[in-house]
Amino acid sequence: MIVGAAMGGLRTAESLRRFGFTGGITLVGAESHLPYNRPPLSKDFLAKGKSLADIAFPIRHEELQAEFILGDPARSLDIDGSTLGLESGAKHNFDYLVAATGLRPKRFSFPNDLSQGRHVLRTYDDARSLRGVVAPERRVVIFGAGFIGLELAATLRTLGCTINIVAIEEIPLAGTLGDTFGREIRRRHEREGVNFHLGLSIEDLIGTKRVEGVVLSDGTELHCDILIEAVGSIPNVDWLTGNGLDLSNGVLTDQTLRVMNELGTSSDRVFAVGDIARFPYVAQSLPARRIEHWNIPIESAKWVGRQICHQDEPGSIPDLQTGERFNPLPSFWSDQFSISILSYGEPKLSNESPLVEGEISDEFIMSYRRDGELVGIAGIGMRRELNKLRGEIRL
Amino acid sequence: MEKCQHYGQCVYEAPNVFKLNESDKLEYTATADDSELANVRAATDVCPMQAITIVD
Repeated sequence: MIVGAAMGGLRTAESLRRFGFTGGITLVGAESHLPYNRPPLSKDFLAKGKSLADIAFPIRHEELQAEFILGDPARSLDIDGSTLGLESGAKHNFDYLVAATGLRPKRFSFPNDLSQGRHVLRTYDDARSLRGVVAPERRVVIFGAGFIGLELAATLRTLGCTINIVAIEEIPLAGTLGDTFGREIRRRHEREGVNFHLGLSIEDLIGTKRVEGVVLSDGTELHCDILIEAVGSIPNVDWLTGNGLDLSNGVLTDQTLRVMNELGTSSDRVFAVGDIARFPYVAQSLPARRIEHWNIPIESAKWVGRQICHQDEPGSIPDLQTGERFNPLPSFWSDQFSISILSYGEPKLSNESPLVEGEISDEFIMSYRRDGELVGIAGIGMRRELNKLRGEIRL
Repeated sequence: MEKCQHYGQCVYEAPNVFKLNESDKLEYTATADDSELANVRAATDVCPMQAITIVD
């Protein structure tokens, strides 16, 4: 039973079959669509009128032999009783369960809590609803200057919208890529006509029936037709409650992605994949962390599929005894205007970030070091040089 | 290749099939050997633009 029918769920099913799993596979999804690729939603899907078919993952159904239950989110899990409950009331039994339910956007509530004119971006339905209201000259306020906020700013600016970004941080992406990188991103966005209101929050909304503007924490009023909230995400783990699991931030797993209870005991039948898995570091003595990058569902799905297939062979379980641990290299990319960022590792762990090559105002590579050890690299352009360094990162 | 944005993720997964050339553009061998199938599948999965298609 795979709970979550997005990329992580699909890749888990594929991995199970690739490693020889012959049992039944069922994927349960909250959305009513077959798995599709999310990154284009903030870019080409909005800008170039792409359809769902354009972004859907190809599925080899005859090889996969999997059943999809869509539009029926998981609501309850009883691990000891091997039962999964869905919103429709349906109950399903399982031998193994993989939790791959991903994230949902964080929402704010305001004193004047209007709902019309407010958007988020996570799913195809979100993107379609946003696309329906976007037009040249529309005034857009984006709350949040993370990757989704900045990508949307670039896409909608290119479509002719007026963009005001409001964000609590003083420098966009500073928490992820450092101050120097973040300031350069801001400069390039401003050059394209994006306006920033940094170090500020949205205190309230203006309007009677629909959002007509926002009031910032310094009293500034910004009028808008569209408000997009892009202030981070919340792991979908509510359905896992009642099993003694550590759900304080996603679901805690051991170094082989088996979910763990609050006493530190791993389940041998329940695994976590993708954004919700909070897993330990191998080379760093830091607390376990979740990673919200696109390659993590792929890597974790591959790992879990193999682990389930090897579970019944004594001695072949990739676990602490054999020394094998899940240790993916996080990687992410982001396209904003002509800015194309590529990064590996976890730059945010660093305490120094020297420039390796190039010019900040043009193409460059920055390295991120923690106590001298390379924990991340990031750059704009210079792909070949950047890709050469990825093998040197230690996490 | 129109979808390709030259991220080079595929190069890491299947270095015998994909490479970035001197001007940071992606080049690949269209008729890869069957022994490369697992690597090319991995490359297909990690391509940010989902630009790689395997044809039997």
